Amino acid sequence: MISAIGNNVQECFQSLAQSKTGIGKINHLSTRHKDDFVAGEVKLSNEQLAQLVGDANPALNRNSYLAMLAAKEAVVHSGIKPNDGKRTGVISSTTVAGMGKTELYYKNLLEDAEHLYVLDTHDCGDSTERIADYLGNVDYVTTISTACSSAANAIMLGSRMIKHGLLDRAIVGGVDALSKFTFNGFNTLMILDKEWCKPFDENRKGLNLGEGAAFLVIEGEQALKERGGKALAEVVGYSNTNDAHHQTASSPDGYGATLAIQQALEMSGLTPAEIDYINMHGTGTPNNDASESMATKTVFGNNVPKFSSTKAFTGHTLAAAASIEAVISVLSIQNDMIFPNLNFSTPITDTQLVPETELVKTPVNTVLSNSFGFGGNCSSLIFKKVKA
Amino acid sequence: MSKVYINGTGCISPQNTIDKQWFFESLAPAQEDYFNAIEPSYKEFIAPNLLRRMGRAIKMGVAAGNIALQEANVTQVDAIITGTGLGCFEDSERFLLALVNNDEQFLTPTSFIQSTHNTVGAQIGLIMKCHAYNYTYVHRGFSFESAMIDALMLFKEGKQKILIGGIEEHTPTYVQLIRKANKLQAPPHPIWASTSKGIQLSEGSTFFVLENQRTNSTLACLLDVQTLYKPKTSTDVLEKLHLFLKSHRLDISQIDVCVMGFSGDVDFDKILQELLPTIKQSSSVVAFKNACGEYHTASAFALYTASKIIKHQIIPDTLAIENKKPTEIKYTLIINQYLGINYSFTLLSNC
Repeated sequence: MISAIGNNVQECFQSLAQSKTGIGKINHLSTRHKDDFVAGEVKLSNEQLAQLVGDANPALNRNSYLAMLAAKEAVVHSGIKPNDGKRTGVISSTTVAGMGKTELYYKNLLEDAEHLYVLDTHDCGDSTERIADYLGNVDYVTTISTACSSAANAIMLGSRMIKHGLLDRAIVGGVDALSKFTFNGFNTLMILDKEWCKPFDENRKGLNLGEGAAFLVIEGEQALKERGGKALAEVVGYSNTNDAHHQTASSPDGYGATLAIQQALEMSGLTPAEIDYINMHGTGTPNNDASESMATKTVFGNNVPKFSSTKAFTGHTLAAAASIEAVISVLSIQNDMIFPNLNFSTPITDTQLVPETELVKTPVNTVLSNSFGFGGNCSSLIFKKVKA
Repeated sequence: MSKVYINGTGCISPQNTIDKQWFFESLAPAQEDYFNAIEPSYKEFIAPNLLRRMGRAIKMGVAAGNIALQEANVTQVDAIITGTGLGCFEDSERFLLALVNNDEQFLTPTSFIQSTHNTVGAQIGLIMKCHAYNYTYVHRGFSFESAMIDALMLFKEGKQKILIGGIEEHTPTYVQLIRKANKLQAPPHPIWASTSKGIQLSEGSTFFVLENQRTNSTLACLLDVQTLYKPKTSTDVLEKLHLFLKSHRLDISQIDVCVMGFSGDVDFDKILQELLPTIKQSSSVVAFKNACGEYHTASAFALYTASKIIKHQIIPDTLAIENKKPTEIKYTLIINQYLGINYSFTLLSNC
């Protein structure tokens, strides 16, 4: 995982445990708005990223660098051997894809033969195939783009393909680098907070954009057993539903989100009371947090588990958000810690939900992680501690 | 698992596929080195208040989805799965150019909102008030294949009705740029024996209603899909094909019709050109990109072609590479390739 709070999982964990946000002044993205907003940038330049990847190919862009680094870290950490004959999938997700480079050259591209390559690196499949080639020995590649829930759906697809016997393991996750395109897009929607975002606060004003990538290696039980590996956590529930309310807004009652959470719970066989922690989507926009709070109340009633949004650490990393938060959920389970919801002071009047605002050390056996996106896309995942 | 039936199709393509009676009788030629889709009068399929704001890819997607649903006589589904390589490219281009030309000022959100890759699937879900599973695959020449693979899994998980589709649009600027990059040429004749480089860039939207039961409108059965990423040689592909067919207790000689994704580019078609002699020994073979051109989700047009061939039990002369005039067309196999990188097998049968 690489994000505003660290270039690898360990660094990210340290930031989370020390309540250290990665959101601040914009340094790398070249935008006229850079002094008016804050964002969760990865703290490395493209040149530094290229060096870490070890590839000076000019066709590589920030999206690919982030994806390759995070996927490689996941594979190395997992201990899987690429050449062991197991069927391996790379299932990634992105919304911005190669736009960060396309936007630099597209206008004059007809007169600019040198940069025509951006036509080949613009699409969402590019970074996924870069990961596959970087890792080698990959049998299946695909990419999902369902806006801000994308990586949750990649995790879900990987789990399903293993269950169906189509793959033995899958490297799943998502990536999105900051671009002027997404930055200005969200700005026109007027859902960016110029200061630190305040998820679930009555006075929240919007989200902070972030960037990053996170990948997880999901393995079938059989493949894991055969190599004597040890799982960090188990994917026990998932669901994808559609709010079918509005192209960009969530319904006031959070109907789609409610369905997703309920179906994921049902699949996991867990009761609502058995969820120890919810890592919320919690973008900090008035609409999302109100809708998600309603859905949470509908499912959990007056017994809402401990919850937080970690987007005030990382910013909203769009397609990568759900995989970054999946890694955070796993860290929560591994370390029996709940990471705080930064910048919160006043509960939302209607729902009165209060997130955890300090680091909490408590047994965490189960985590529900929500991710919602444009187009009404709602995804919920449930992770569970593996019994020793 | 019970079988998966293709019970409705909706196809917007460079050919007259909007006409339900049309069956490859004659083919509209490319505009020199690219194809434009023939778009229907959208008023019949989309409410005017929605139509006004929609980009072309969304219109093509929603309309083709509607046509497929109507043909299958289905009003609600258990999943909507779309595949698209570039998504709503026109809106992406519009927002991008507005941003660059105005130095990030005076922007409005509409084209940004619509540029999101899952807009077509989302709009269909919104119009149908469908709260079910809704996925969008965006992986080059695997975009539509991924949608099919997902749909087949969902049927095994108990779903009964699924809408799947592939959508692609291009813009005049994009066509110019691809031409500038020396990726286009006028179609070689025949397309399956090209000796020069270049494809015919194209666009279109092809949707299918899949169900777990046979109905009056059933065209064919979808049996299986497999993708191959960067196979090195035709021997690799052939080996994988044997295994794929073997898992259905079939061998190549039992394939009645093979639908092959020759794109007209000698390099990209190399492996298919090498496979052709083996395949046409025992099977009839047809092309389809001479009809639909090349795009990320051309395989959706291939599925349309294969289903229609099974339904009509006729091999169209306009597509035929080898016509053995089989007495019964039972098994049909699509072998597609995209840029010589993304290969796929799709197996269909009559029902």
